[in-house]
Amino acid sequence: MNRSQLDHILKAHHRDAYLWARQCCSFEDEMAKDVLQLSYLKILEGQAKLKDASKAKTWLFSIIRYTAIDELRKAGKVVSLMDSYDPIEIIEEVDGTNYEEIIKLLPEMQREVILMVFYHQMTIAQSAEILQIGLGTARTHYDRGKKKLKELITKVQIQEEYGK
Amino acid sequence: MGNNEQLERFFDQMKKQDEQLEIPAFPEVKTRKFSFWIPAGIAASMAFAFLFIQKPEPIEPVSPEVVIITLQEDENQNQHFTIEESTFLETWESPTASLLTEY
Repeated sequence: MNRSQLDHILKAHHRDAYLWARQCCSFEDEMAKDVLQLSYLKILEGQAKLKDASKAKTWLFSIIRYTAIDELRKAGKVVSLMDSYDPIEIIEEVDGTNYEEIIKLLPEMQREVILMVFYHQMTIAQSAEILQIGLGTARTHYDRGKKKLKELITKVQIQEEYGK
Repeated sequence: MGNNEQLERFFDQMKKQDEQLEIPAFPEVKTRKFSFWIPAGIAASMAFAFLFIQKPEPIEPVSPEVVIITLQEDENQNQHFTIEESTFLETWESPTASLLTEY
């Protein structure tokens, strides 16, 4: 695949790529811009190669995710895998329209699968590929994430009801 | 995804909110592409410098390695030795070669 074809693919997915980078960086805009730039560099310098053009989005998302993990680790903002499995409870009141804050309350893997499926319209299999986990594991994260997010949304709605 | 209306509504609203986000322009990434001309230029400069900077080595006179002593007879039948120094020997005659011819 030559440079102009790669450019074309990257441009076509640029918006989604930025939004995904932002979601991988806990919705921090500046870090997301850096992660996206680094991901594009990796691609254009040939450090990451696309073998199957039909999987371009999955491939791009995977690179962005791993680049974001590296950057978060450098910034000391990464939580261990064990932490990500711990249930997160709402401690403070969250605004019902603050979707990012609500999503952030989900454990990391669940959050990523849920975002890929519901926000980016990907399949669970594609999510599993991006996260480099088995399909069964991805399904578990999906089911748990869905359940957890529903609970969170309901809790926030109840909080808002009582707050009025 | 039968029972997901609540989540779908949630993400629809989230996407609407994200429409307000400023998406950074697609960056013009300049790759650090390896250029053939850089090493070629370095090699050419080095060759050029080697040709012009290198001092010609003085040619040392070759020290004589052969001493040729010949016994010659002049017109008055007097014999005398001549001693020459040379770097090589054009002809060599065995000191006992005369024995082969004279006897």
